[in-house]
Amino acid sequence: MTKYVVRRLIQAIPVVFGITVVVYGILLAAPGGPTAKFAQNPRFTEEQRARFMHAWGLDQPIPVQYCRWMGICNPDNEGLAVFLGPTGWPNFLPTGLSGADNGVVHGDFGYSIATGEAVMTRIARAALPTLILCGTAMVIWITLAILIGVIAAIRRYSLFDQGATIFAYVGYAMPTFWLGIMLIFIFSGPGLNILPAGGMTETRLSPPFGSPEYWVYFGQNPIQAIMDIGKHLILPVFTLVVVSIAADSRFVRSSMLDALSQDYVRTAKAKGLPGRVVTFKHALRNAMLPVVTNIGLEIPFLFTGALVTETIFSWPGIGRLTIDATRNFDYPVLMGVLLITSILVVLANLIADITYAIIDPRIKY
Amino acid sequence: MTQEIEQPALAEAHVDDIAQRATEAGADYEIRLQSLSQWQLAWRKFKKHHLALVGLGILIALLLIAVLGPIVMPFEFDVIPRPDEIVYAGRPPSLAHPFGETGGLQRDVLLLVVNGARTSLFIGFSTMFIAVFFGTLVGSLAGYLGGVTDNVLMRIVDVMLSLPILFVILIASRFFGNGNVLLIALIFGLLSWMGISRLVRSLFLSIRELEFVEAARAVGVRDRRIIFRHILPNAFGPIVVAASLIVAATIIGEAFVSFLGFGVNPTSPTWGNVLSNALTFIPLGNWWWPFFPGFAIVLTVLAVNFIGDGMRDAFDPRSRL
Repeated sequence: MTKYVVRRLIQAIPVVFGITVVVYGILLAAPGGPTAKFAQNPRFTEEQRARFMHAWGLDQPIPVQYCRWMGICNPDNEGLAVFLGPTGWPNFLPTGLSGADNGVVHGDFGYSIATGEAVMTRIARAALPTLILCGTAMVIWITLAILIGVIAAIRRYSLFDQGATIFAYVGYAMPTFWLGIMLIFIFSGPGLNILPAGGMTETRLSPPFGSPEYWVYFGQNPIQAIMDIGKHLILPVFTLVVVSIAADSRFVRSSMLDALSQDYVRTAKAKGLPGRVVTFKHALRNAMLPVVTNIGLEIPFLFTGALVTETIFSWPGIGRLTIDATRNFDYPVLMGVLLITSILVVLANLIADITYAIIDPRIKY
Repeated sequence: MTQEIEQPALAEAHVDDIAQRATEAGADYEIRLQSLSQWQLAWRKFKKHHLALVGLGILIALLLIAVLGPIVMPFEFDVIPRPDEIVYAGRPPSLAHPFGETGGLQRDVLLLVVNGARTSLFIGFSTMFIAVFFGTLVGSLAGYLGGVTDNVLMRIVDVMLSLPILFVILIASRFFGNGNVLLIALIFGLLSWMGISRLVRSLFLSIRELEFVEAARAVGVRDRRIIFRHILPNAFGPIVVAASLIVAATIIGEAFVSFLGFGVNPTSPTWGNVLSNALTFIPLGNWWWPFFPGFAIVLTVLAVNFIGDGMRDAFDPRSRL
């Protein structure tokens, strides 16, 4: 087991390295570069541009830029000494030893061009709202998907099963943003107007979410604050649930059907066990094996999944951050988001495989 | 779908030959054998799938609209229907404008949907062709050659599949797209082939071990011919099904990217970019503006998914009539 885990971890290293190179390459290839946003500004002189490029280290050779982004090279040294931090220890060691504090390996992912903050600070601030939104949605849709899938499989071809099939087809074809717009029209349009159309908190009631003042407000009246967020959660969560439940409930259904047709289920029935025991003890538990793996693969969604939904409902999360950064050509933020997401995907794959190996005794490794 | 290959002609000649010999030998019965090509078998099974037939009908209708529609009702970006009569809110569906009119510039929503069909379907299908081409190329090289080639190509695929593709598409469209339809289709195509390549690789790994490939290799058939004549035709079914999923995903993805204003320019309407101002008019109750373009997307994706399902059953040798 340990050997398997170690082998998988070692295999993941070149993939993660490849991801950093690709992420860097995509943004390097972009025309204009980080100065593109100044292109329309007539007062931005060539001299200022050169100073900007120098200040951000953009006049260095590409491998050096990559190296500095990764936080392995020290911009203050020359020659081979670039690998040494201010304290004389290698630069890529944790900040406490090397004294260096800038770059991917040090966890700050560089600085945002738009605001000058560390990229990680911006990402961390946006991650909590995304986690709240996607976490709530995921718990609801996984529960519902398992329920719908199992019932549809047990009562195959029944009215319920056919209804679930139609729902899955339609949910699968539904563009998230269109569903969101239509829900906004129905529930916050001029007709009903019972739910907020967007945002995370009522701005007239509370300071913006995540600011220090907000936490003071939250401490004073937590119930009101939670109710407020809850009210803003309803529409985006509903949107996510409808769209995501489709694929997952199909998956659970086919997995359950698979389990129900196994020999051991027939044996259990032939033994005279009551149907309920056979279904829930023999079939369901085995049917859940691939489902658990599938849930593992959906973990990165907690960080990124709601790009579309967040935009529609102006939710201040990772999706919004990405779109703002794309609009402003804020390269370091984009690279940070892409890199963190990709590493999460690799990790989720790893966790899914390992869980599967643990819970399914038939797997030999 | 109904395209025929030379094989049945050969087979029929053979059958006729047997029949003639049987008659000459004094047999008092006639042999009427009809051999069906793989295509005919697949079509026969496909026809049994009612939803797939409905989907095919919808898709053909949409393609006709995409081809003929813009000729009948051309879209001119500079032409504003009523420049002298600026009404902020749009107008609800009426007889003259069955899909209503947008707020602001008062464009006919039907006109936008019809013209959007051409761009959206064009992007959906050209992305599919690009993705299938690259995916099949990479997958067959990796699956057939194996070894180092396989390892390198599949690690590249691993890396690309780990990236959040919608984010990358969004960024690439913003940086390289320039609002150009062809460039956007190219960006989508170049970022959608990974799934196909994994599928093709796995198909190659299993098919290349089969006896007829071994036989072909034994009589000295060259690699290229084995790939194109012996393995690829047998991998056709799953590839087509996966391709249909790409069309559906691309139409939704393009609509989203254009909706955000990073995709196709508003000078050529798509189902996504005509929605982009609609959100601001929602508080005025202009439901018809976002509804119809979005409904067109749902309809298309449903149709494509139905067809995909039908084809999966049709090409699956285990499914019987």
